[in-house]
Amino acid sequence: MMEKLPFEHEPDAELGAALREALAPAGHEAFVARVMAGVSTTKPESWDILAGWAGRGIAAALLVALGAGFAAGRAMQPSNASIEEGLMTAPADSGTAAAALVRGNNPPDASIVFAVRP
Amino acid sequence: MSRDPQPQVGGARIEHREEAELVSRSLAGDRAAFGALVDKYAAQARRVARAVLRDPDDADDAAQDAFLSALVKLEQYDPRRPFGPWLMRIVANAATDRRRRRSVRSAEPLDVGVVGGGPRPDTAAERSALSERLRQALAELPERRRLAVVLFDVEGYSHAEIAGMLKIPEGTVRSEVFHARRKLRTLLEDWREPS
Repeated sequence: MMEKLPFEHEPDAELGAALREALAPAGHEAFVARVMAGVSTTKPESWDILAGWAGRGIAAALLVALGAGFAAGRAMQPSNASIEEGLMTAPADSGTAAAALVRGNNPPDASIVFAVRP
Repeated sequence: MSRDPQPQVGGARIEHREEAELVSRSLAGDRAAFGALVDKYAAQARRVARAVLRDPDDADDAAQDAFLSALVKLEQYDPRRPFGPWLMRIVANAATDRRRRRSVRSAEPLDVGVVGGGPRPDTAAERSALSERLRQALAELPERRRLAVVLFDVEGYSHAEIAGMLKIPEGTVRSEVFHARRKLRTLLEDWREPS
């Protein structure tokens, strides 16, 4: 066999194989599982940043949703004035006044209900 | 799975792209992607750590520390460069730090019979004995020399890459590999020659 020059630029395959065998670790799967168990309690700095963004995003979305809900609620809420106006404008002998009372969500003003129309 | 000692240029380029993709996914919070990197480099990291720390359990602890440290510092990795040298630098540092912290006792001197003579490593028992003697011979070398020869001859990194990992000039890496080989090959030749 040719004498191996130790200053060669290529790796020494024979020595490399012998060293690889000498340093060969056992239990690959167990080691990987152990590292990954540690990963569950460790995170890169970027994950903190992402989590910060996610937190801010969720807070902003909640604010928008609250605002939209409030605006929609106000738009859908019947006003007290509509009942009272219905009672005042309805002819006394018509069923419109009673219907206005039934439709309304809020109790009407008693002074309007019992008002004596001339 | 470990890295091939001499990957082909095209294959290495694809491998590099895949690794950069895995790192990118890991940074986005994909633990499975980081798991793939761990799976790929576990054996190599453990061998490199064991080149510094003789005790396999210590070496595994150091390799684990290195992976977790790499995860924390993953943003510092430059995806235009190969991942292996970046990771092995962290592994080598973790192993060296652990050795210093634990003030590992200095390697015991080699037996008289270690360098010189011995049966050919034909049987499993003989190969096991050769491995033990190689480990002992490796432990006799200065730490930087051990790392240089393992990173070059076992893991297939270039002199330039090892210089970057160990923060020493490329010429020093060549010299360290030369001296390590001279000692280790003497042992290997003696085992190979028929008794």
